[in-house]
Amino acid sequence: MAGRLARLTLHQTLALAAVLLGAAALFASPYPGSRVTLDAKALALVIGTEADHVEAPELAAWIIQGRADYRLIDLRSEAEFATYHIPTAQNIPVNVLTDAGLGRQEKLVLYSEGGIHSAQAWMLLRAQGYASVYMLKGGLDEWTDQVVFPVVADNPTAAERTRDERRRSISAFFGGQPRSASAVAAGAAAMPGMAAPATPALPKVVAPPTPAGGSKPAAKKRKEGC
Amino acid sequence: MNPYLAGIGLGLVLLAAFVLVGRGLGATGAFNAVIAWAVSTVAPEHARNNEFIAGYLGDEGTSPLKSWLLFEVAGLFAGAMFSGLLAGRVRVTTEKGPRVSVRVRLAMAFAGGVLMAFGAALARGCTSGQALTGGALLNLGSWAFMLMVFAGAYAVAYFFRWQWR
Amino acid sequence: MAMMAPFFKYGMFGDEASLVLAFLIGIGFGFFLERAGFGSARKLVSQFYLNDLAVFKVMFTAIVTAMLGVTYLGWIGWLDLSLVYLVPTHLAPQVVGGLILGVGFVIGGYCPGTSVAATATGRLDGLIYVLGIFAGMFAFAELYPLLKGFYLSGDGVGLTIPGTFGLPYGVVVFAVVLMAVGGFYGAGLLEKKFAAPGE
Repeated sequence: MAGRLARLTLHQTLALAAVLLGAAALFASPYPGSRVTLDAKALALVIGTEADHVEAPELAAWIIQGRADYRLIDLRSEAEFATYHIPTAQNIPVNVLTDAGLGRQEKLVLYSEGGIHSAQAWMLLRAQGYASVYMLKGGLDEWTDQVVFPVVADNPTAAERTRDERRRSISAFFGGQPRSASAVAAGAAAMPGMAAPATPALPKVVAPPTPAGGSKPAAKKRKEGC
Repeated sequence: MNPYLAGIGLGLVLLAAFVLVGRGLGATGAFNAVIAWAVSTVAPEHARNNEFIAGYLGDEGTSPLKSWLLFEVAGLFAGAMFSGLLAGRVRVTTEKGPRVSVRVRLAMAFAGGVLMAFGAALARGCTSGQALTGGALLNLGSWAFMLMVFAGAYAVAYFFRWQWR
Repeated sequence: MAMMAPFFKYGMFGDEASLVLAFLIGIGFGFFLERAGFGSARKLVSQFYLNDLAVFKVMFTAIVTAMLGVTYLGWIGWLDLSLVYLVPTHLAPQVVGGLILGVGFVIGGYCPGTSVAATATGRLDGLIYVLGIFAGMFAFAELYPLLKGFYLSGDGVGLTIPGTFGLPYGVVVFAVVLMAVGGFYGAGLLEKKFAAPGE
């Protein structure tokens, strides 16, 4: 047998190697499919530190600064997105998230109505190997409460005045308006046991004025191909 | 070089592209990038309005010349020249058969290029991008394309044999 | 095994480095094209006159090599094949484009990649061919509004043969290998039969 192998020409050797490799590949399934491997302990640690949370005022600051080093993703349906969405957000409904072709190393900030879908999506993405995934803490609810319609004090102290000024300007940037603390408290007292008083209707989305020199968050992709 | 060994070399280069960059080889896209750049420099409005060209312009901020394929084709040029120099196969000449004049041959070459461009544009690639790359990835459209290239070529080869004999 | 490749898609280097890699990969590409003799139109068209089937041999050896490579690397989980770009399938324009390309190949004597290789080794016909490609591409762009409907027809999705026909990937891989090796054997026979006078 060894003698016969040694007498093979180059072409015959190549052909034999090809056929053997091809036969061995008969049972190959090279596409990864949708099964994932989770490192439960590592993820539990990350969840515990809350390092993956982004607070609403923080996100507001990033948008105002025109930061383009992250992608803001709205996980809700197209209809909900059309009604209102955080400016600069991109709509990727949660059920098509894995097909969206997001880069594995891209910084992603997810939000949904409250936080359930963003938490579930966070888990899905982390399990698939996305390294830099964050959630908007409290989702759109918190965004509405803290950024668009923030609460400002009626008789502010010096410290509260600076804080409220900032809240006012941020809220104006996003087309909202502040609510007075007493009105909020009165509303809560008048309806004990009920949820917080209805916030005014969210403003039509107006893309915030891009600060001078700011870059678009998602560059128009050039045609890839051959 | 033995065609099979050259093929293995080519295959490994292609594999390297897959592993390193997640895409295959190509050539046509480089030509598109240059055209997009040229048109956008001379007539920017026209470039933006032309849907085909606009696709290669992408973001207003990046030059269309920063195209992966353009750099790859530049490397192709260099690599081919290097191999040619090594083998002493570099000389200024026109490849043609004995019974055809240089002028006619060059005219045919130009015509071939024009046809090739149309074919490659429609098919989204040429033999490098579609046949090699798509072939290795078992891409359905690429294999169909490859078959058609051989079919089309064999169908008309008889009628152009005067160029080479 | 942890997924690591394609490196670029896992963020291991940026756009600039990717362009440098493009150049280096291109060097390899051009080197082997010329090594195979594909900087010469005569060698290339010999394929279609059946006296030198190097085009078939080189092309399919390359395809089989890379195909086996991605199959194995994907199988062991090192390469994430779903992140490798698959040209979207538009069957009608690809079929017609292929036919046109085949005709252009025989008339011009080159394909885009080899025409660049030919230009690099001094072939004037290669250079003129390149100019022809520019002219043709520009014409296509100008005629695009008319061609747009046909150009965009079809699925527009990356489809694989195993996926479309519901075949196991490995089976198709093996079939391609067998077809290629069989083809190489047949090519040898054809070459002997149609050898050009003087070979």
